[in-house]
Amino acid sequence: MIASKPIPDGSFRVGVGRQKAWGVQMATAFFFGEAGAGLYFVAQFFDFMSGMVVGLLLVLFGKAGGHALHLGQPLRGWRALTKVRTSWVSRGLAAILLFVVTGALHILDTGLHVLPAVLSPLVAALALAACFVIMVYQGFAMSHSTAITLWSGGLMPVASLTYALLNGVLLTLVLGFDEPFLAQGPETVRLLQVAAVALMLYGLVTVSSLLHGARHASEAGRESVAMLLHGGFARWFVPLVIGAGFVVSALTMLVAPPAFAWMLAVAGLELTGYYAFRVLMFKAGGYDPALSFAYRFRH
Amino acid sequence: MAKWGMVFDLRRCIGCNACAVACKQENSLPDGVFFTKTLSEEVGEYPDVRRTYVPTICNHCEDAPCESACPTGATSTRPDGIVMVDRDKCIGCGTCIVACPYDQRTRLEPEMLNEGLFGGGRLTPFEEQGIGRFTVGTVVKCTFCHERVDAGQLPACVATCPTEARIFGDLDDPHSRPRQLIRERHGRQPLPEKNTNPRVFYID
Repeated sequence: MIASKPIPDGSFRVGVGRQKAWGVQMATAFFFGEAGAGLYFVAQFFDFMSGMVVGLLLVLFGKAGGHALHLGQPLRGWRALTKVRTSWVSRGLAAILLFVVTGALHILDTGLHVLPAVLSPLVAALALAACFVIMVYQGFAMSHSTAITLWSGGLMPVASLTYALLNGVLLTLVLGFDEPFLAQGPETVRLLQVAAVALMLYGLVTVSSLLHGARHASEAGRESVAMLLHGGFARWFVPLVIGAGFVVSALTMLVAPPAFAWMLAVAGLELTGYYAFRVLMFKAGGYDPALSFAYRFRH
Repeated sequence: MAKWGMVFDLRRCIGCNACAVACKQENSLPDGVFFTKTLSEEVGEYPDVRRTYVPTICNHCEDAPCESACPTGATSTRPDGIVMVDRDKCIGCGTCIVACPYDQRTRLEPEMLNEGLFGGGRLTPFEEQGIGRFTVGTVVKCTFCHERVDAGQLPACVATCPTEARIFGDLDDPHSRPRQLIRERHGRQPLPEKNTNPRVFYID
C-alpha cells in the first residue's frame, strides 16, 4: 500500500511559498463587504432607502456568510470579538456588528421615524462610521501581515477604500436609476459618473503602485507580481482587473449616455474586475524563503 | 524562568529528515501536517554544485505576529517563550497563517483527520490513537514539544537528530550551549527584516 496523498511538489524546497490559507471564500466575503458597505455609505448621503437596505443585506449575508463558510469552527466565531486591541479581524467584526445594528435602526428611522429626534443623527453617524471601518479594515487586515509582501504595502487599505467607494457609486447609479434623486436630477447622475471615473483612475494608480512596491520589496513580492502580470494569473489579472475593472469601464462611463443599460454594463465590468482583484491577490500572495541567505552567508 | 530557543547548525544537517519523523511520531501528526521540515536547495553551477539543507520550525518569535493578529486570543506566549495555540479558542480563520512570515502553521482540514493515510476513511492504529489530540478546522504548529520540555526532556526532533544539528536550550542563560554557539559562530535569525525576533537561530 502507498500513502493516499503525495507530498506537493516543491514543499520541501527552499524558495517562495504560496499562501493557501485565504482563498475564494474569503475573497467572496471581502467582495461583499466592500460592495455592501460602499453602497450603504453612498446611499445614506442621498437617503436612498433601497440602496441602504441592499448594502446592509450584502454585508450581513454576503460578507458574514462568506466568513462563516471560511471558518474552520464557525460556531465559535463570536470569539473573534475578544482581541479588538491588536487584531484587525477582531476590529472588523466589531464594526460589522455595530453597522448591522445602527444601520438597521437608521433604515427604520428613515422610513418610520422610530427614534427620538436627539438619537436619530447619532445613530446615523454611528452607522456611517462603522460602515467606513468595514470599507477599510480588510485592507489593514491584509497589510498587517508582513509575511506576504504583496499585501504588506501601505496601499492595501487605500485600495480597499477606493474599491468600496467605486462599488458604492456604481451600485447607486444602477439601483437608484429610477429613484427621484437620480431620475429628476441629471446633474446628480453626472456627478456620480464623474466620481466613478475619478475613482477608477485613482484605483488604477493605486493598484499599479501596489504592484510596483511589492515588486521591488522582496523576492516573494517580485514573484507574486510576475505571476499576476506575466505568469499563470496574467490571463485573468490583466484583462479583468486592469482591463474590465478600470480601463474599459472608465472609457465606457465617459462616453455612455445616462441610460440604465449602460450603467448596468459599467457596474458589471467594474465588479467583475474587483472580484478578480480580490481572488487573485489571495492566490498570488507568497512567503519569502525563510533562509534564502543560507548559502550566501556561508560564502 | 528559562526562555527556550533553538539553534540549527547548517554544517551538521545532512537532510535525513529524522527530525520530521520523530516530530510526527511524538505529536501523532496526521498525513500532510509537518511541524518541522528540512528544506533543500541546490546551489552553484556544474561542476561545482552543492545541496544545502535548511531545517525549519516555528520560531517562537518574541514579537510573534501570529499572536497579535489572532482575533480570539487562541495564540499566546507562555512565560518561557513557547508560543502555543489553544484549540478550544481557535476558530480556524487562518489569520495567524497569513501573519506568520515563516509559513509554519497548518489548518486541520476534515480530510486530513478523517480520510486516513491510505484513503477510504480507514484510520491506521497510529492515526486512531492520535486523533483525539486534534480538532478539525483549528490551526496547529510546533510547540517545542512543550510536554517533554516541561518534564525536563529535549524536544523530540532535538533528541533524535543523529548529527546534533539541532541544539535546544535557555537563551537567557549566557552559559547555555545555544547562547555560546550563537555568540561564537554569529548566529542569525531567519528573516530578521520582519522584526519578529525569532528564538530560532542558524549558524554556519
